[in-house]
Parts: sequence; structure tokens; C-alpha cells
Amino acid sequence: MNGHFASNIEMYLFLSSLFFVFGILCMLTRKNAIGIFMGVELMLNAAALNFVAFQAFHRASPLRGNWLHGHIFGLFIIILAAIEAAVALAIVLRVFAVRRNIDPDQATELRG
Amino acid sequence: MALVDLFVLSCIVLGALSAAVVAFHPNILYAAIALVFSLLSVAGLYGALGADFLAAVQLIIYVGGIIVVILFAIMMSENIYRGRFVEGFRRFIVPFIISMVVLVGLVRLMRRAGWPKTAEIMNLPSTGPIGQALVGPYALVFQYVAIVLLSGLIGAVVIARPHYTETKGDGT
Repeated sequence: MNGHFASNIEMYLFLSSLFFVFGILCMLTRKNAIGIFMGVELMLNAAALNFVAFQAFHRASPLRGNWLHGHIFGLFIIILAAIEAAVALAIVLRVFAVRRNIDPDQATELRG
Repeated sequence: MALVDLFVLSCIVLGALSAAVVAFHPNILYAAIALVFSLLSVAGLYGALGADFLAAVQLIIYVGGIIVVILFAIMMSENIYRGRFVEGFRRFIVPFIISMVVLVGLVRLMRRAGWPKTAEIMNLPSTGPIGQALVGPYALVFQYVAIVLLSGLIGAVVIARPHYTETKGDGT
């Protein structure tokens, strides 16, 4: 622990936890669809950072196997985040074109 | 303290501060710019963890692509210099409690778990093995992600298309 930040998994997991928590806060408190989307991005980054950190420390541990699973899952998370960005921002632009604001508390037409 | 320790520590501090700015800044444009720095810190940690290809992908796709799209959507849709959070801190109470419970639970789980906590990180080049794995054991998942990406982009184009009133029943 004493100063060796790079070889301690808790540093990475702590930053990942902080990202996840700030993502939750950003999702729950923003009154803006793009702000909520940015919270989702933070949470996806937390998950991908967890994958890569566990992969790196598992690779160096005695029970080593294929040393790429975490990297590939992180890659797929990034690709899916790109898809999500495209679809979410298309929806945001569409809602803005219809309603002239993107407050998710006011878009209640589908509530039934 | 070696140089890589200093690098990891500065990435963690930068990431934590900029994530706090993303969550709490009332101006959405500044929050998006802080999101750039938090994604950059995650890319730096990928580099420190020996995932060089993933660090490059993070830089290219997130910082080069998604952030630009977010800024574009903000410019298109928002009166960006209007202050928010004018209704006080009352709406922060329940999310703050929820997130503190989640944070305390995660940190307790992290301290009590039995996985190996310290290890030497090997820095092998990972681009070639990732390419071989994407056409080898992960070929099916790779094709599946490609199909999802194609259909998602087509759906995004269909959703964001301008509204044509002369065609009827086109779903927009």
C-alpha cells in the first residue's frame, strides 16, 4: 500500500467505484437528457475499468489463463457505448425538435 | 514512489475531480468538457494497466467520437449558458443517500474480498493478440456486435431524420 499505487488493485477499483457513484448521482439529479446520458457514460467507463483492472491483476496472479478476456470485454463495452451514444443523441435531437426542450420530466406523452 | 505510481495517482485524482464536476456542475457544457478529462484519466489507467490497444481505442472512440457527438447535441439543443439547479438542494437528498450507500457497499466489498490485491503488471503488446482473439474464439461475438452497431446506426438515422409530412405512416 505504501506508495505503490500502480501495483495495487484497490486504487483502480476505488476510482471505478467513484465513477459509478458519480454516474448514479448524475443520472438521478440532472434535469437534462444529455446530462443523464453523460452519467450513463461514466457508469460504462467504471465497468470497463473494472474489467481491465481485474484482467491485469489476474494475468499476473498464479492462476493465469487467457490474458485477454478483460481487454475484449472492455472493447465491446466501448463499442456498445458508441452505439448507445448514437441512438440516445438521435432520440434527444428528435425530442428537442418536437418539444423544444429536453427535460425528461416534461416528456410524458408516452405515460398513458 | 516510481514514475508509474505518480502517473496512476495523478490519473486517479484527475478522474475523481472531473467526475465530480460532471455530476455537479450546473452548466451542461462544462460538465461535458469535464467528461473529456475523466475519460482521459481512464485512458491513462488503461495504459498503466498494460492495455495499450484499449487506451488508444478509448482515446479515439470516446474522446474523439462520443464527446464530439455530445458537444454537438448540446450546441444543437440547449440554451447552454442558462444556469440550472435553481430549485435548491432538496432534490439532491435521496440520490445522495442512494449513492453513498452504493459507495460504502462497494468499498467494503473491495476491502473484504479475497482476490489478489497486489501484483506486478506485465506490459506485453496486446494489439496482435486482440486481433487474433477477435477472429478466433470471439468471432461470433464480434459479428454480433457488428450487427448491433449496424442496426443501431440505422435506427439512429431513422429516428433523427427530419419529419416529412407528405409521406404518411412512416413512423416519425
